[in-house]
Amino acid sequence: MIAVGGEPFYYLEFGDIVLYFSPVTTTLFVLALLFTLFVLASRPERQVDIAFGSDAYLAKVITPGELHFRKFMATACGLASMGAMVTGDVFDFTLFASLVGITNIGIVAAVKNRHVQNAAYQYGLVSLSATVPLFSGAAMVAATTGTLSLIELAKGTYPAVPLAVKSFLVLGIIGEGMAPFYAAKAEMFRAPGAPYVIMCSLSSLLIFLRVVEIAMTM
Amino acid sequence: MVVWQEYSIGLLVVLVTAIIGFYVLSREKDDLHRLLLIDLVEIPSLGIIALLGTDLAEALVLPGLVVGIAELLALGQLYLTKEGLQDRPVRGLHIEVIDTSPAPVIISILLVIYGIILSGFTGGGIAGLGIVFLFMSRGFKENFSLIEAAAGISWAVWILAFFVFMFAPQYWYFAVMAAGIGILFKVMAKMALVGTMWGEGR
Repeated sequence: MIAVGGEPFYYLEFGDIVLYFSPVTTTLFVLALLFTLFVLASRPERQVDIAFGSDAYLAKVITPGELHFRKFMATACGLASMGAMVTGDVFDFTLFASLVGITNIGIVAAVKNRHVQNAAYQYGLVSLSATVPLFSGAAMVAATTGTLSLIELAKGTYPAVPLAVKSFLVLGIIGEGMAPFYAAKAEMFRAPGAPYVIMCSLSSLLIFLRVVEIAMTM
Repeated sequence: MVVWQEYSIGLLVVLVTAIIGFYVLSREKDDLHRLLLIDLVEIPSLGIIALLGTDLAEALVLPGLVVGIAELLALGQLYLTKEGLQDRPVRGLHIEVIDTSPAPVIISILLVIYGIILSGFTGGGIAGLGIVFLFMSRGFKENFSLIEAAAGISWAVWILAFFVFMFAPQYWYFAVMAAGIGILFKVMAKMALVGTMWGEGR
């Protein structure tokens, strides 16, 4: 039925919101779960600054409050990604994607550094403006077909979703759910806020794979 | 067919507004003004959802609005931290009629009673507004752990009501009442906390 992701083998119904577990969505869900568990188990990176002109070096201290905040944001990001992976409702998916966006901002902004916070603010502006195409795309799916359920849309009995609407949705996801590329730099494992910053990149990857599945299913 | 024509015209108008908003946004360089402009640009997106014109539109506008406000609050907080504006004390309203007469108390009580009669999300909003007004005009010295506990419990009641809807739909009347009361207290408590953000420093 849902040709792209394989035949769903389990439906979890919450009223008219139906989660479905097909081979693709289940794989993505398990990956998100694994990443969340890794975040819960991981310990923060302690950065070391060398003082110029001497042999001294300064180890940066991460306070327990700061650590809790980062861990909470990264875990919330994992939970939101897990929801986005299995939901069978287009609007639900956009809401989960915006939740991923908010938690990504939180992960980056938890670092007490002016440059990092500036970057987080600019990313926040991008993701906030991306809610416009995101929610409009989802609303126009309902307007053109009359349903938001991916399971119904996959049956092929409804009118096809126009390409423009699909591109609106994908554009919104690119801005909202996917962390920008300057956040996904090579030395991320040593960056301020590591290793929790990696969750931004991982959630973006998962959201990207899911939106491809959704756009091809519609 | 007439409905579809109206939808297309509405869509065109909303998209033109969004494009104007984005154009202005691309020319603005100041960080704070960009945040305010983005809030403006968000309104067309709610407009597109509202154009659906069905019950579904109402159910979709609310989460869309909430997500937008949540991001706006997060970014506002981030802006304050980034610019180091957090220690700046905010002065309360010092108008004689608000400081000394019983008018704020009476207005707040009326709003709370009206909110309780309305119940649900709207009622919570109105009753919360009354409490916000009281806190803003009179200052606050209370301990907020009680309000926070009430908000937490009412939220749990609200969620419980949803589970009743899903798993025991025959008790829908109980669930409607529980959800209405739960959301009333939750919104009221949350808005009361917002009212305390305004005041003489910390």
